[in-house]
Amino acid sequence: MTRKVLQRLWLVAALLVSWEALSRWRVLNPLFFPPPSKLLAVLGPLIWGGSALDATGHTLTRTAIGFAAGIICGALISAAISSVPWIRSGSEPVVSAMYASPRLTLLPMAMLIFGVNDSARIVLVALSTMLIVVIQVSDAIRGVNPAFVDLARNYGASQAMVLRKVYLPACLPQFFTALRLSFGRAFVLTISIELLSAGNGLGNMIWAAWQTFYIERLYVCILLAAMIGLLCQMPFRVLERHFTKWRGASA
Amino acid sequence: MRSEGASCFGVGFTYSQPERQVRVLQDVSFEVRPNEFLSIVGPSGCGKTTLLRLLAGLLTPTEGTIDRTGLRAPQGGPPPMVFQENNLFPWMTVLENAAFGLEMRGIERNERESRAAELLARFGLSGRENDYPYQLSTGMKQRVGLVRAFLCEPPLLLMDEPFGALDCQTRMYAQQELANFWREHKTTVVFVTHDVGEAIILSDRILVLSNSPAYVVQEFETPLPRPRPPMFEGDPEMMDLQAQIFALLGFTLNSRAWAAK
Repeated sequence: MTRKVLQRLWLVAALLVSWEALSRWRVLNPLFFPPPSKLLAVLGPLIWGGSALDATGHTLTRTAIGFAAGIICGALISAAISSVPWIRSGSEPVVSAMYASPRLTLLPMAMLIFGVNDSARIVLVALSTMLIVVIQVSDAIRGVNPAFVDLARNYGASQAMVLRKVYLPACLPQFFTALRLSFGRAFVLTISIELLSAGNGLGNMIWAAWQTFYIERLYVCILLAAMIGLLCQMPFRVLERHFTKWRGASA
Repeated sequence: MRSEGASCFGVGFTYSQPERQVRVLQDVSFEVRPNEFLSIVGPSGCGKTTLLRLLAGLLTPTEGTIDRTGLRAPQGGPPPMVFQENNLFPWMTVLENAAFGLEMRGIERNERESRAAELLARFGLSGRENDYPYQLSTGMKQRVGLVRAFLCEPPLLLMDEPFGALDCQTRMYAQQELANFWREHKTTVVFVTHDVGEAIILSDRILVLSNSPAYVVQEFETPLPRPRPPMFEGDPEMMDLQAQIFALLGFTLNSRAWAAK
């Protein structure tokens, strides 16, 4: 256990210690690179004062609503793409083009359509999630081995049973990977949107700290965002592992 | 158990690919007699698997007809097939895989799982019920596939080189298990193999197919009494039968090779 923790955290610890040392010895300018111990002193009041929690709440709410909407739309669209050939052929270039373009550039357009409010921001997050899900899940459906479909049909499985017993379990691993990836992207995108346009949230807090040249707070907010992003991946990893245990060592 | 036969009349099959048409079967006619163990041998790629898939109803013949009316009897469903590869769903446990046929027949969970566990135990798989297929050896996977097919008590059982991937020893065990099951349950088996010796040991009758597009070149009866030993080496009659079948396969191959020149 301790060995495992050491393996995972030695680099983090080394970085923090050298940062602290370099900043204290003035190798790094402490005005721009305040030592971690000083950041800790800023973090406390930020959390107990409630403003960090408030910002995190706003960011996570936007992320979660956009993410959920994106998952549902993405799953429905992948099902349509996989069952109707001309929907696939038509949507492939559209999906690829949208996937290749940076989503943040669509923010002004979303604001023109939905107004300068949270729906524009959430729609953008949903779109980003949806694209990842569509690409991953339609790929997974296409990859289902037809031998297993035959096998199920051979034992008298109805179409609905084939979906439930073959397509669904065969696609779950890639679906959960898509969930994990797209949640990370949704979280990052939400913060980016908040940097540009929002009255609250972690992104807004980071930008406000920069504007007022409150450097300690700037660092604390960035680290906080990173930690929250990391923590949010964990439930997805657990789900992924649970639904892919049949793949054994290859998972 | 009620047993069924089936018959093929002038069956042909052509795969339509985007670029070309590939005809794999041509004018195949034969009968599967109730309760018999029928083996089909033929050169590699001659369409043996296609023929089985036609019998299973997974494909429809492009020419001729297959009479499977007896197989649509109540509880019958399509005849279960035992495949050489991809025989188990990798996302289901051994028990779920074994009970799959019963599940599709609407049998309630407790009953199907206890029946599956019982037969798994007879096949030396007790204690492995909750394993996933990746944790099993090839021989074990094949046995789970057999258990699943046997549990459906099929009037007709179709097997596509089920022992092709097994090592020699495991294969002999599996053959014995299959022969025992067949004798106990008096079901009908159609067994595709590339192993002539295996066909002789197991079958009542052997069909030899030609190169693709395949037709039935000849059929042989195997008069060896049952229960049979796991090997027939030393039995002059059987050695002669084996030589005849090999000659037939070799002859077909050679004449084609000759014609190609």
